[in-house]
Amino acid sequence: MDETLAEFFRRTILKIPMTEMMTILKTWNFLSENQLQTVNFRQRKESIVQDLVLLLINIEYHATLRLNDAAHLDIIYTQFHRHQKIWDVFQMSKRPGDNIDLFDMEEFKSSFKKILQRALKNVTVSFRDAEENSVWIRIAWGTQYKKPNQYKPAYVVYYSQTPYAFTSSSQLKSNLPLLGQALTVASKHHQIVKMDLRSRYLDSLKAIVFKQYNQSFETHNSTTSLQERSFGLDINMDSRIIHENKVEKERVQRVTQEIFGDYPQPRLEFAQYKLETKFKSDLNRGILAEREEPLRCLVKFSSPHLLEALKSLAPAGIADAPLSPLLTCIPNKGRNYFKIRDK
Amino acid sequence: MELANTLRQDGESRGGVLAHLERLETQVSKSRKKLEEPQNAQALEARIHELKRLRDKLRAEVKQRQARVKASTANVEPDQTLEISEQEILERKQENMKAILQAYRFTGISGKLTSRGVCVCISTAFEGNLLDSYFVDLVMEKPLWIHHHSVPVFIPLEEISAKYLQTNTQHFLFVLCEYLNAYSGRKYQADRLQSDFAAFLVGPLQRNSLCNLLSFTYKVKLEGQSFPFCARLLYKDLTTTLPTDVTVTSQGTEALPRMWEEQRAAHENLFFTKPLHQVFTSFAKKGEKLNVSLVS
Repeated sequence: MDETLAEFFRRTILKIPMTEMMTILKTWNFLSENQLQTVNFRQRKESIVQDLVLLLINIEYHATLRLNDAAHLDIIYTQFHRHQKIWDVFQMSKRPGDNIDLFDMEEFKSSFKKILQRALKNVTVSFRDAEENSVWIRIAWGTQYKKPNQYKPAYVVYYSQTPYAFTSSSQLKSNLPLLGQALTVASKHHQIVKMDLRSRYLDSLKAIVFKQYNQSFETHNSTTSLQERSFGLDINMDSRIIHENKVEKERVQRVTQEIFGDYPQPRLEFAQYKLETKFKSDLNRGILAEREEPLRCLVKFSSPHLLEALKSLAPAGIADAPLSPLLTCIPNKGRNYFKIRDK
Repeated sequence: MELANTLRQDGESRGGVLAHLERLETQVSKSRKKLEEPQNAQALEARIHELKRLRDKLRAEVKQRQARVKASTANVEPDQTLEISEQEILERKQENMKAILQAYRFTGISGKLTSRGVCVCISTAFEGNLLDSYFVDLVMEKPLWIHHHSVPVFIPLEEISAKYLQTNTQHFLFVLCEYLNAYSGRKYQADRLQSDFAAFLVGPLQRNSLCNLLSFTYKVKLEGQSFPFCARLLYKDLTTTLPTDVTVTSQGTEALPRMWEEQRAAHENLFFTKPLHQVFTSFAKKGEKLNVSLVS
C-alpha cells in the first residue's frame, strides 16, 4: 500500500472519537473480529491508530480496492457525524409524460460514476447503500492533471425515485454543474435546480422536503389522534393568581397551535431574508424615507433550533400572534433563504 | 443484702432470719415473674381468640347482608329498572357506534371529520393481511386542498391530485387507494422474499423505493442438482401487484441443458402469474416433495 493511502487511512481513523471507534470499525466490517482482537484498544489513541494502520498494511489486497475501502470508512464516519457538514438541497424534475421510473440502483451507480469519470480523468467515486432505498455517494475531486484530493470530498445523499438530492457544501464550487448533470442523467430526470434551503441537519431537511414533519392525524382510533392541547396555563395553578389577560393568552396559544401544530419542528439553524424594498416609516421625515431606490439589507435569524424558537415567540409575549407568514412559511415552502422585493 | 450484713454484726440469729426472709422474698418475686409471663402470653392468646371470633361474626353478617341485597334487587319495582336500562341502552349504542367507526378502517377507506374538512385514512391490505395505513388531511374549501399527509414521497400524489382532486374527489381517493394498495402489496412480497426465503437467495435482493424493480439471483434444486437463476421483475403498472415484465436468465453464456431450459421458462411464467412469495413457497414445497421421494 502506498504512503498516501496509508496516510489517508491514518487520518480518517484518527478523526473517529474513541467512544465510537469499535462501533464504526464494526459497521465498516472490513476488519474481522479476530483481526480487531490483535489490536490493544487500551493504549493511547495515537498508538491504536498506528496499530490499525499497520494491520491494514499487512493485509494482502489489490491496491485500488483499498482506496475504496478507505472511502467507505470515510462515508461511515460522515454518516455518524452528518451534522459536521452543511447540506444543500437540489430538486430535480422530469419532463411531463416521462415513463414510469424503473429505478435500478446498480444502473444508477454505474451511470453516475461514468459521467464523472468521462468528464474528469481523476475522480474517486464511492457508494454506500443506506436505509429506505437511499445511497450515500462520496466524491473526491481531481482535475485532468491532479490526483483527487481525498481530504475535501463532497457527499450526495439520494433516495431512489424521489426528486430530491442532498449534497454537502463542497469547497470546489466549480464542480457543481457536473455533479448536477451526473445526478440528473443517472436518475433519469430532466432538470435540476438548487433549492433555497440549507442546514446542518440532514434529517430535518429530509423531513421538510418529503413533507414528513407533521404526522399527527385525526382518527377514530386512539393511536394517532391529536393530543388534547390544554389551553390553560398550567404553570401557575395557584388560585391566588388571576391572569387578567387569560383570554388573550388562550388566543395566542390557539393561533400558535394552528400554525405550528403539535409536532416537533424540523431543525434549522437560520433563516435569511434579502430585502430590496423601499424604506417604510411612520414619520414622514427622515433621510431614508425620501429615497426612491429600494433599501438593500440582509436580515438573518439564527438559533440552535430556529422553528421551535419562532414557535415560542408569541406565547412568550415577544411577538404578536399570528407571526408574519414570511417566518411561518419556512417548512411549508421548503426554504430558509428569501429575496423580498416590492411588488 | 447490706441490711443482712449490718444485722449480722448484731446477732447471727437475727441476720439469719432476716436474710432468710429476704431470700424467700426474692424467691417469691422470681416465681411471680415466671407466672406473669405465661399469663401475658395467655392474655394475648385470649385476645386473639376474641378478635377472631368477632371477625368471623362480622364476616357472616356481611354475607347475610349481601344475600339480602341481592334478593331485594331481584324484587325491585319495574319502574326503577326501566330508567336505569334506558341510559344503559344509550351508552351501549354510543359504544357500538364508536366501535363501528373504528372498524371502518377495515373497508380500506375511512375518514373522520375535522374542524376544517376531513381526514381520510387509506388502510392497505394484501391477501387478507392488513398493512400500513396512510392519511390525507383535506381542507374543504374552494378549491379543495391537502393540508398534510403521510403518503410516501415516491407515490405520485401531486400528479393524481392535479388530475382528479378538484373535479372528482371520489375518483381521486379511489386512484390514490389503488396506487397505495399496489405499493403495499409489492412491498409485502419483497419483504416476504427477503425474510422467509433468504435460503433460496444468492446475494442481496435489489429493490427500489416503489418496489417496482426487483433483481435477484436464486437457486433451485432439481434431481439433486442446484442451479442458479437470475430474475429481473419489472412492474411498469404502478396499480398492480404482479410484474409486467419478467426475465429469468442463467448466469453462464452456454446454452442450458433442456431440463434446465424447461425450468427457466416455467419459472418465468410462474413469476408472471403468482405473487413472488407464493412462487417461492411452491419452490420450497417441490423441494420437500423431492426430499420425501429420495428418502422413501
